[in-house]
Amino acid sequence: MTNRLKKIFAVVIPASAVLAAGAAWFVTRLPASSFEKTGSQEEPSAQLVARGEYVSRLTDCVACHSVPGGAAYTGGLKMVTPMGAIFATNITPDRETGIGAYTLADFDRALRSGVAKDGHRLYPAMPYPSYAKLSDDDVKALYAYFMKGVPAVHQENRESTIPWPLNMRWPLAFWNVVFAPSDVYRPDTSKDAQWNRGAYLVEGAGHCGACHTPRSLAFNEKGTDSHSAAFVSGALIDGWFAPSLRNDPNTGLGRWSEDDIFRFLKTGRNDHAVVFGSMTEAFNNSTQFFSDDDLRAVAHYLKSLPGNAQRDGTPWKYEPTQAAVVQPAGRQGIPGAQTYMAKCSFCHGTDGRGQGQWVPPLAGAASSLVPDSSSSINVTLNGSGRVVAAGVPDSYRMPSYREQLSDGEIADVLTFIRSSWGNRQPPVAKGDVKKLREQTVPASSSPVILKTR
Amino acid sequence: MELNINGIQHHVDVEPDTPLLWALRDDLAMTGTKYGCGLAQCGACTVLVDGQAVRSCVTPVEKVAGASITTIEAIEQDDLGKRVVAAWVKHQVPQCGYCQSGQVMAATSLLRQVPHPTDADIDAAMVNLCRCGTYNAIRAAIHDLASGSTDGGA
Repeated sequence: MTNRLKKIFAVVIPASAVLAAGAAWFVTRLPASSFEKTGSQEEPSAQLVARGEYVSRLTDCVACHSVPGGAAYTGGLKMVTPMGAIFATNITPDRETGIGAYTLADFDRALRSGVAKDGHRLYPAMPYPSYAKLSDDDVKALYAYFMKGVPAVHQENRESTIPWPLNMRWPLAFWNVVFAPSDVYRPDTSKDAQWNRGAYLVEGAGHCGACHTPRSLAFNEKGTDSHSAAFVSGALIDGWFAPSLRNDPNTGLGRWSEDDIFRFLKTGRNDHAVVFGSMTEAFNNSTQFFSDDDLRAVAHYLKSLPGNAQRDGTPWKYEPTQAAVVQPAGRQGIPGAQTYMAKCSFCHGTDGRGQGQWVPPLAGAASSLVPDSSSSINVTLNGSGRVVAAGVPDSYRMPSYREQLSDGEIADVLTFIRSSWGNRQPPVAKGDVKKLREQTVPASSSPVILKTR
Repeated sequence: MELNINGIQHHVDVEPDTPLLWALRDDLAMTGTKYGCGLAQCGACTVLVDGQAVRSCVTPVEKVAGASITTIEAIEQDDLGKRVVAAWVKHQVPQCGYCQSGQVMAATSLLRQVPHPTDADIDAAMVNLCRCGTYNAIRAAIHDLASGSTDGGA
């Protein structure tokens, strides 16, 4: 070996070793927590536990960390990723299988940095990039609730089905550097207090972007706050198209007033829409429990997000039902019209306008105006889940047509709906119905309802 | 909530989202209108609202306050309705009978809209379900009515 080569090795090998050691340290290190200095925990006050319970409604932990029929917060919800399925974990204070051994700092690292007590990185299915914005006070309250307000349940976590080497967690440390915001919410001093509270709830605690913001190839949300035009601009997730929450008149909240948004989140319904798909769960266990002030803040903030006319298209305007559709003989020449009149019109109206706040309109509905037809197909195949507002189950619910209508019939009736009453979407493809039929299951009429007292 | 049913004003003390069917059956004891599926799928609960066949199980009372509601109890007060019932008797349409108040309402509504319906019209409009399979008898009765051979006194 030449001297020159020896010299190179003498530099490269130690340097690589240092880099490798550095990387190894970096991907397993415990990130900083504001609570590291917090010593042995004193007994939290009942007031703090109650505050934590409220924060848990804002953050909607139960949505993923529970399954129908299971005990609250014991995890088990299956989330399908392109690499395999992962399962939400037990976050009850059980010391062996839950988070009973977590200190406040451990809890904080999991919640806001996505790092478990043993140093492994959580998948960003856990919305820690949003929870990063939670205030220290809210984290502390949430910890008090999970330690003292939630019963411990011994239940082992399920292993993910992601195969090696894709199941290695350490690369997520680098993902976090690039994609995960790491700072608590900083108020925008140019905006009022209500707006800032709304931003904290939407961008942070409520993690609305987890469903409503489109993701890029690395699965990161394309925008995490009001400065990004992609933030809550609508996204396809788990067979549903979560619509835009921006001021898009067709596919977003452009035609909704702040009061409309407030009522939707408080009662699950308004004259524009009724919660369905995954939003039913978010309503049942989370948004209806927000204080009125917090809901008004959410509405105020959302109405400040500008729409995108290019994406949204020409604003929708109602057009009456074609006369032929109302005639028994006439509608037989229009594909989907007979199915609409026989199966849909009794609830949604021959005019497509629904029945006030009780049955949503299809005319001008975001699901009818958004180019992606997934939500229309999914709700037709599977119906809607039970909406439980203030403890009272809904009177009217979309039934599942999976067993009644063929792929072709569903494609036809949805094509009819999405091209009537001023809706102007291209035909729904039979193949898309077939695909979603295989990937989805009927909505449950026994939803997870968390009772905290 | 004020409801005009069969020409009589009724006061019902119910929530605005209560299905009309519950107001009829539970509050007003008008049990001629039947509960079948509760999801607008079968048509057993069909009543007429301003002459239109609606499924009362999915109709919030709030939506029909002020409208003119007709149920099976009063269908024979209407000339056409009376003829429909007579044709139903003549053709001995009902078997178990559970769906028939809805079928009579649907047929009345169809004949009001299309006095001489074709088979295709009947297929399109008479989408109420019948577990006994009385569809052929229903079709015959409607054709009979359309041809005018069944009058109210038959």
